[in-house]
Amino acid sequence: MEDLLFIIIAAIFAMRYLLRLQARGVFTILLVGLIGFFFSFTVAEMPPFGDPNNPVFNEIPARYMESGVADTGAVNIVSSVIIDYRAFDTIGEATVLFVAIAAVIATLRSH
Amino acid sequence: MGTLENQIVRITSRLVAPFIQVYGIYVIIHGHLSPGGGFSGGAIFGASLVLVALSFNLEVGAKQISHDTASILESGGALGFVITGLVAIALGANFLANQSAGFPMGQTGQLFSAGAIFIITFFLGIKVASTIVTLFYNIIEGEDKSGDAH
Repeated sequence: MEDLLFIIIAAIFAMRYLLRLQARGVFTILLVGLIGFFFSFTVAEMPPFGDPNNPVFNEIPARYMESGVADTGAVNIVSSVIIDYRAFDTIGEATVLFVAIAAVIATLRSH
Repeated sequence: MGTLENQIVRITSRLVAPFIQVYGIYVIIHGHLSPGGGFSGGAIFGASLVLVALSFNLEVGAKQISHDTASILESGGALGFVITGLVAIALGANFLANQSAGFPMGQTGQLFSAGAIFIITFFLGIKVASTIVTLFYNIIEGEDKSGDAH
């Protein structure tokens, strides 16, 4: 662990010399490295992709797959989820689009 | 030489655009049957209008769908979505309810089925298509104006 820390510090000093960075650049590299470390750590701890024992495969997707067609009449299960079961969420998405357009028009038409 | 390239691009895009538009409408209205739906179909339809505006010029593109029409379609799509949800309340169910509100469900697998899903997908497609077109025209016009000023 101490060796790794030493290598990281040496690499930062080497990059500082090579790229002629200011102290602020060193701080940026440290921060980005820290964020990257935690992201990699999180991804490494995630359950494997597509495993049937994953915690996301609980009773809710089972309900969607078993009675989705009978509940909504839609063969496309994605449509039945986003427009029937989670339609309120889709209204939020449409609102995001609307606000984006309003912001673009307000910014670009003013000058 | 530039005119020749322009000619190729213009004729090709003029030939291809109707097929892209038909495909976009197909993806929108088959949203409850096949992969796709309002968002992807609307993006396809809007991309065809952007293609025409790119290969010709802004005036020809604006002739296809004007600023006011795009704005009305934009707001109308969102409004239609919300009104479909309110109709469900008026029919005595929850906001955005489908089967429990008594929308006609039809035969599963047919084109006109799935009640509110069909209607909402249609409105979403209109909204996404006009969003893409409005975004594109506003950004391009802003570029033009700043280019003239310099």
